Formats: sequence, C-alpha cells, structure tokens
Amino acid sequence: MRIKRNILFIAIPALLVFAVIGFLLQSGNAVETPGAPPPPVAVDSTKCIAQTEYMRSNHMKVLNEWRHSSVREGNRVYTAHNGSRFQKSLNTCLGCHSNKLFCFNCHMYANVKPKCWNCHLSPMETP
Amino acid sequence: MKKILMPVVMVAVLAIIPYVGVEFLKLDYLFGVVIPYTATALFIAGFLYRIADWLIRPVPFRIPTTAGQEKSLDWIKRNRFESPYHAWEAVARVLSEVLLFRSLFRNTRAELHKDASLAYASDKWLWLGGLAFHWSLLVIVLRHTRFFFVMVPGFADFLDHADSFFDVTLPAFYISDALALGAITFLTARRFFDAKVRMISLPTDYFPLFLIGGIVLAGILMRYVVRLNIMPVKDHMLQLMHFGFDPPGQIGTLFYVHLFLISVLLVYFPLSKLMHMGAIFLSPTRNLCNNSREKRHVNPWNSDIRFRTYSEYEDEFREKMKKAGLPVEKQ
Repeated sequence: MRIKRNILFIAIPALLVFAVIGFLLQSGNAVETPGAPPPPVAVDSTKCIAQTEYMRSNHMKVLNEWRHSSVREGNRVYTAHNGSRFQKSLNTCLGCHSNKLFCFNCHMYANVKPKCWNCHLSPMETP
Repeated sequence: MKKILMPVVMVAVLAIIPYVGVEFLKLDYLFGVVIPYTATALFIAGFLYRIADWLIRPVPFRIPTTAGQEKSLDWIKRNRFESPYHAWEAVARVLSEVLLFRSLFRNTRAELHKDASLAYASDKWLWLGGLAFHWSLLVIVLRHTRFFFVMVPGFADFLDHADSFFDVTLPAFYISDALALGAITFLTARRFFDAKVRMISLPTDYFPLFLIGGIVLAGILMRYVVRLNIMPVKDHMLQLMHFGFDPPGQIGTLFYVHLFLISVLLVYFPLSKLMHMGAIFLSPTRNLCNNSREKRHVNPWNSDIRFRTYSEYEDEFREKMKKAGLPVEKQ
C-alpha cells in the first residue's frame, strides 16, 4: 500500500510535467497552416551546392536540414556559401547526378539504408 | 584519487598519440595497418594462451555452491539448474551466467541504518547495468560486421534495423549507442560514489572502463557529430580482412583514434581482467556437475597409498589368532 502511494506521488507530478512541457512545445509550434504552396523560386540547379569532400561525409546532414526547414518551416530555398540559390528538393540533387545508381553504389557498399525511399520515389523506380 | 586519475591520463595520452601521429607526422600506415595487425595477432595469441593455460589445469573435485539442492534421494526435491547433475544442465547453468548474469541477479546490498541495525536487501542495479552494458557492446560489435564483409550477414542487417528502430536523426540513432554510454557511465559512477566499491576498486578496474568509454565516444562522435566519409573506411577494413598491406585512403583522424584505442584494448585484453570473457566458460563453480554424492572423484595426482585390508591382516595372522582364541572370519 505504501509503495503504491509512493508511485502515485512520483507518477502524477511526472505526468503533469510532461503535459506542461508538451503543451509548451506544441503551443510554440502553432504555425498557421499555409494555404497554397509558394511558387517555386527560380533556382539554379546546374552547380554543386558544396565541395565534393564536404558532401561525401555530410550529405545526410544537409538533406536532414532541408527536410526540416522545407517541410516544417516552409522555406524551400537554399542559399549556398557562394550565394547561388537552390530549390530544396531531391530533384535538385538528382537533376545533375542523374546516374540511377548515384545513391545506391555507395549505400549498398557501406550497407547504409536510410528510409528516403519510404516516401520519395527512388531513382530506380523512375523510368 | 590517484587511482582514478592515472587511468584517465593514460587513456587521454593513448587517444592523443594517433591524433598527433596521423595529423602531424602522417603515420597513416603505422596506425592504419601495422598496429591493427600486430594488436590482432597479439590478441588472438594471448587469448588462446590464457585459455589453453587454464584448460590444462586439472580440476579434480566438484565445487558445489549452495545455490540449489543437489540430486540425492528421490523424495528430496532437487534444483535442476542451480545444482546440475547432467551435463546439459551444467551447460544451461553456464549459459544462464553468460547470457543473463545469473549470479549478479543474486546480488545483495548491506546497509547500516540509523538505529544501528544492519539490513540486507536485493540490489539489482549492478545486474541491470552490467547486462545493458555487455549486451549493447555485443550488438555494437556485431553491427560493425558491415564494415568487414562485402556481403553483410543477415543477422547484422536485422540488428541494424532493430537498433535504429526509433528512426530519429540522420544517420539513424542507435539505441545501443545510448545504452552503452549510459551503462558505462553508471558502472563508473558506481565505483566513485559507493564507498565500499570505491575502496576495492583498482586502476585495473578503471582503465578498461575509461578505454572502452573512449572507444564508444570516438565512435559516437564519428557517426553523429564529426562525420567521416565512410567509403575509404570500408575499403580499408575490407583489405585488412583479406590480409592486404595497401596504405589506407584519406580517412579522418578521429577514425585512427578509434582504431588505435581498439588496438590498445586488444593488446591489453589477454593481460587483464577482461579475460573474464573467455574465463566465464571455465569457471568451475558453474560448469561442473554437482554429483559428488553419486560419483567418487579421486584427485589424479594423489600418490598411491598402500591400504591393508582386514582380510589381508587376518590372512597373515590367522593361525596365531586361532591359537590365541580370537574369533576369525574365515576358517
């Protein structure tokens, strides 16, 4: 009986704390849902967005940031260090890197399987 | 304090050596090829030597532990796994120790209360921390097979999938990384803060903890923070697996820190308490059947004792005994 009461003493404040934290986080995120998506900005997709060496080890970081800022903040334009602007889209990458195996060569070799193609259309599936 | 600081300094120096060596002296070949090969060879040779050394020691007697009722009369209920009689029961006892840390589950804790009464209570934290630490290390090591084989074995794929189950962050966050780091922190903190354990802790306890902590930390940094290009790493590991001697490609320095600390761990392994990895299978209180009521175990190096039985005695003195009127068994 005593143990049960102790658990309640811990559990109820803990639940309250979680509820308050959750409320604060969510209320901060209450962004007005945008109506129509903004028209695509005229972007330059003919150049690389960063050095090859940097992209080899950090492409997942860039893609993750793109996903976050475009999906959650609606910011679909990426400005590279040299000032050129890019549409934040996998198509920007795959437009130049049009080899169907561009992703798969290395990812198969290193056996790294991110879940990009759970939602996006994989280059292997496009005609 | 010194016995904690010394291992910390040692691990820090060991981590700086490959950093300086690769970053400034360009010794990629030494740290990428020569040292890993040497360390692996020393590890295998040392490990086999220690195990062989223990295997050839005779264990003449059963060492019954009092954890369960031994098999005796039919109407006395026995405990099959705590006091095994058949070989397969002993195997089960060893496996329960290796896989589930059965003995640690029995751990108790003594506390002196304010009214000067001594109380004992079950204490499962060490068991839980140890289990989390060892299992996550095993999962991490098995996950690393993806660097060593062209075709990654199926279990590694499964482990990778299960381990990144939460699918947060990119590259996907591994549960075992957090568990290993949390558990090793707990196990180290336990040695600092529990006065009784602090008393009996030695530098040889702290050093492997800090060393493994350093390895885990370097690995986590490489995955989530200082990202490395993984291609030359896999190239290099594959060629090491095929006993190649080509110099490694352009790999970040943190990789060499990780690899060098692992090499140190491999060399240190056979010389240290870490040998419990192999020795747990050889512990006599776990792997021997408790059948000393059923079977007579004779110490093989006892010198032969010449016994003289009563019948031999009577054979020698029968006539004299008869004359003296003493009773004899054989006429």
